[in-house]
Amino acid sequence: MDEIRLEHLSKEFSGFVAVDNVNLTIKGGELFSFLGPSGCGKTTLLRMIAGFEIPKQGRILIGDQDITALPPYKRQVNTIFQNYSLFPHMTLHDNVAFGLKMKKVAVTEIKHRVMEMLELVKMQDQAHKYPDQISGGQKQRIAIARALINKPQVLLLDEPLAALDLKLRQHMLIELMNIHDVVGITFIYVTHDQGEAMSISDRVAVMNEGRVIQFGPPDDIYERPSSIFAAYFIGETNLLSSEVVTVEDDYVHLRSPIGNGEFIEFDSGFKRVPLVRQKLATSLRPEKIAISRAKPRAQDDINSIRGVIEDILYLGSHTQYIVRVGNQRIRVFSQHKRVYFDEKALDWEEPVWLFWHDSDTWLIEETPSPEIASGERFYESTGHYFRTTKRAANP
Amino acid sequence: MIEAEIKASKAKNNASWLLTAPALIWLMIFFAVPYLIIVIYSFLTADIYDVKFLFSLDSFRQAFQSSYLRTFFLSFKLAFMTTAICLLIGYPVAYFIARSRETIKNNLLIFIIIPFWTNLIIRIFAWRIFLSYNGVLNEALMRMNLIDQPLEILRTDLAVLIVMVYVYLPYMILPLYSVIEKMDWTLLHAAMDLGATERRAFFKVTLPLSFEGIIAGSILVFIPALGAYLIPQLVGNQRSLLVGQVITYKIKNIPRNWPMASALSLILLFVVAVLLILLYLAYKSRRRGGSARQGTDLVQRY
Repeated sequence: MDEIRLEHLSKEFSGFVAVDNVNLTIKGGELFSFLGPSGCGKTTLLRMIAGFEIPKQGRILIGDQDITALPPYKRQVNTIFQNYSLFPHMTLHDNVAFGLKMKKVAVTEIKHRVMEMLELVKMQDQAHKYPDQISGGQKQRIAIARALINKPQVLLLDEPLAALDLKLRQHMLIELMNIHDVVGITFIYVTHDQGEAMSISDRVAVMNEGRVIQFGPPDDIYERPSSIFAAYFIGETNLLSSEVVTVEDDYVHLRSPIGNGEFIEFDSGFKRVPLVRQKLATSLRPEKIAISRAKPRAQDDINSIRGVIEDILYLGSHTQYIVRVGNQRIRVFSQHKRVYFDEKALDWEEPVWLFWHDSDTWLIEETPSPEIASGERFYESTGHYFRTTKRAANP
Repeated sequence: MIEAEIKASKAKNNASWLLTAPALIWLMIFFAVPYLIIVIYSFLTADIYDVKFLFSLDSFRQAFQSSYLRTFFLSFKLAFMTTAICLLIGYPVAYFIARSRETIKNNLLIFIIIPFWTNLIIRIFAWRIFLSYNGVLNEALMRMNLIDQPLEILRTDLAVLIVMVYVYLPYMILPLYSVIEKMDWTLLHAAMDLGATERRAFFKVTLPLSFEGIIAGSILVFIPALGAYLIPQLVGNQRSLLVGQVITYKIKNIPRNWPMASALSLILLFVVAVLLILLYLAYKSRRRGGSARQGTDLVQRY
């Protein structure tokens, strides 16, 4: 299985830089995702691999073959389009057979292979129907069959689940992974939905403003975001503006302003970065923070701070607490595990302790904007990121 | 409860009948009744000035004589050629407009519609000046030394064809445009993605998907071209008349023959109706998908 190399790939649309110097190697047989907000250039990147856009600069290679300038019909690449783009004037059978007919494959073989493909996507008994007689999920399957029948080296998927409802999306996601296991070719998946990308991919490239800002396995990106953007875009996080106080052998001591000249102090188990007095961003994932009325037992590797509950959002699988710490707001996710309940539920305006492990204080070498530092951005930014997560709804 | 609902829905139906009544009455008076008169007249006996109320099949018998058949044949031939040429010219134009940028698109559409602002007769007279023996076209060709003596274009079937294509072209372009414009262009990308060259993608996807527009445009051109009167009258060959002219002569020229005119009209109507029904059936059997239903709606509307 050949790897795909993107070398210094750039694309402009009348002055607007859609894709900016992307360098990546996608391994053969990998399920690779491009993840980013709309307008980040991920679809343009995909269209360049498919051959619908010609890059301004750079090369695209499959194995050793340079396909940068090949027209779409000469590439061993097939695409699942966002709205499936099934041919409305053809039966499902003819839709799936289209690629083979273009290659002038013998009629008997076409028949055989179409049935084989329709069986793979469990649509064999609907071959005679037309696209407007089937549901969204079924269209999706036909689109997959229509692409895979050509035995491409690479399958491109452009937001393939965006048009489906939540339950169906979760179902198709698993089905896509199964199909990937069966056919074993490289899948390149484009999505703005971090839940999809994280659950399906071997590796994820996070894109913003035309650039790949981080790529790696999903857990790596989630646990160790390299930028404020990645930390915010993937999952949810609390971002604090911090300053390095001391650097010890096995930890870094930091402090963050919480207004009125006051600070909270805590440690990070990661010390790859800093210089003393350096300003940086601290990312604290809400689910890694514990919340309690009682003061936690003092321990070397546990950070604890005090705050007041400002808001409680019951979300079914967990509750989100918004805790006021000086002029900062920290979000905490707490799951309802009965075994942990030894006291009555927390209430609005109740003083609480927040505590977390050293190794969950992640440092990002990027100076946070003044709005983040002063806590003014909280509602605006959480409002935005709430929306992202609602759409995402991690399966 | 249910009865009340049924009553309510019946009342609603009555209301909708009331709303459509003016249109229905209008159609009855100005469409159905005149047609009935034509049907009755076609079975009467001709007289020099009007009709004798005596039953006769003479008109239909005469209509199938060779001179009338020739008229029909010529009319159909010209209407068919007009439709074909309009389609050949109109399709690329409609395609080009539909694929242009939004601002350019609207300007181009205005250019297609502008000719309608000028009276048809004036436009035809312009063509007479352009095509005539001492006209602009001949003058220009002579000046360029392409011909030695003026061409006889005016008062030929060719002139009729040229002017009919000119007059009816927008009726072909507009429905084609509206269908092509609505087409999902990612389907073309999908076809190319699956190994079709641009040309094959056009013939396998774009063309079949614009079928509705082709049918609608062809009907809009063919039917008026078949019954054309003004154009052949003003630029055509007056020794071989088209069916529209013949009908007019039979109505106004003395000796009049209103039954003959009525019979010819009915035959024309009948032939067009049969053609439309055949087209409808062909379209229906071509496929039974949902968008086929849309298509037949379009066909039915015309």
